[in-house]
Amino acid sequence: MPSYDPKKITKIHQHLHSHLPSDPALRVKALETILVEKGLVNSENIDRWVEVYADDIGPKRGAHVVARAWIDPAFKARLLKDGSKAVDEMGFTGPASGHLKAVENTRDSHNVVVCTLCSCYPFAILGMAPNWYKTAAYRSRIVREPRAVLAEFGVELSEDVAVHVWDSTAELRYLVIPERPAGTEGMSEDDLAKLVTRNSMIGTDRDLKTGDV
Amino acid sequence: MDGIHDLGGKRGYGPVDVNEPQEPFHAEYEGREWGMSRTARASSITIDWWRHVRELIPADDYLNRPYFDSWAQTDMAAMIDAGLFSYEELESGVSTTPPGAQIETMDYDAVLKHNTTMASKFDRPVEAPPEFAVGQNIVTNAAGHAGHTRLPEYARGKVGIIISHHGAHSFPDDCAKGIETAQHLYTVSFSATELWGANANPNDSVSLDLWEDYLAAK
Repeated sequence: MPSYDPKKITKIHQHLHSHLPSDPALRVKALETILVEKGLVNSENIDRWVEVYADDIGPKRGAHVVARAWIDPAFKARLLKDGSKAVDEMGFTGPASGHLKAVENTRDSHNVVVCTLCSCYPFAILGMAPNWYKTAAYRSRIVREPRAVLAEFGVELSEDVAVHVWDSTAELRYLVIPERPAGTEGMSEDDLAKLVTRNSMIGTDRDLKTGDV
Repeated sequence: MDGIHDLGGKRGYGPVDVNEPQEPFHAEYEGREWGMSRTARASSITIDWWRHVRELIPADDYLNRPYFDSWAQTDMAAMIDAGLFSYEELESGVSTTPPGAQIETMDYDAVLKHNTTMASKFDRPVEAPPEFAVGQNIVTNAAGHAGHTRLPEYARGKVGIIISHHGAHSFPDDCAKGIETAQHLYTVSFSATELWGANANPNDSVSLDLWEDYLAAK
């Protein structure tokens, strides 16, 4: 059982800092080795988890959710009301989709998501978080100077477009619904999904491009 | 706690490096740690305790070591603390106890299916009615505390408006101490000018999901 004793944890961290190799690959290997020895993990299953999150579970799932919301107003209404149920309809339930909240961009407003305290992310529909999302630079600055950070991503917003930042401090996870680009009427869900970038669903991309479909 | 992890609004961190490979894993060890996190986390190690263990990583390591390395460090510390293995076993790679039952091997489809069972729910029934209502102004606590909490420093002592109520959810400040309690949870919107001063854009806002203990009527 855990001790729930922060002083004990601090001592363990200090011990590990001075006794384990510095290379992250060697440290992760040491953890896997002892967990296999203890019968707590199966290395072949880890291989499968890596494959599943490289091949099937990633931002293309979120892109399909967004595309469906664009073409099906009833689905969009359900998604905005209860994001978890709506992604369950699509078979996309998974880690961190238990309390999903979709927020919608408009002409006059832009949404962007962060977790300033750790790096919470809706894995089930966006897959692995990009590295920048987990950096101190993004976590510290996006709440305080979102327009400056967005400009670094190439998103320039006029002063009258309201920026709404969502800091994932509880178990709610956020999905941004970007605006549907003009000139995409009549396109299929599959083709529309190809226009939706991962960053647009986090909020660090805004005007989606329509070329190359 | 006012730890290094509480980064919101802190100054001095540089531009965001927006260019990185599209691949989901940028190094093999990232995938190994991700896979372990999906399969090996002991049930006695709750998400709140695990987050607190991560927050307690020494500040220079927290800021400078790679992200998945910090997950591994957190797993190791939490598992040693919980008695799942010892320093000596971790460092030697050799278990001194008889092996437990081996975990069944899963194929790709079985893992994909198992993934659909991992949408944890954190809402819990409570008898107490909600203390606040949507549309109400609140002020957040000005003081933090030494333990795990999810009220960031930048949003303390600030006036905001409740924009939604989510029923009661597990309360991290208690759960990180091994005490299962639940409280009403609200999304609270703060104007950028309230958080950052008059130079912020008055159109902008930051919203946080906050438990009742963090809030008082304004």
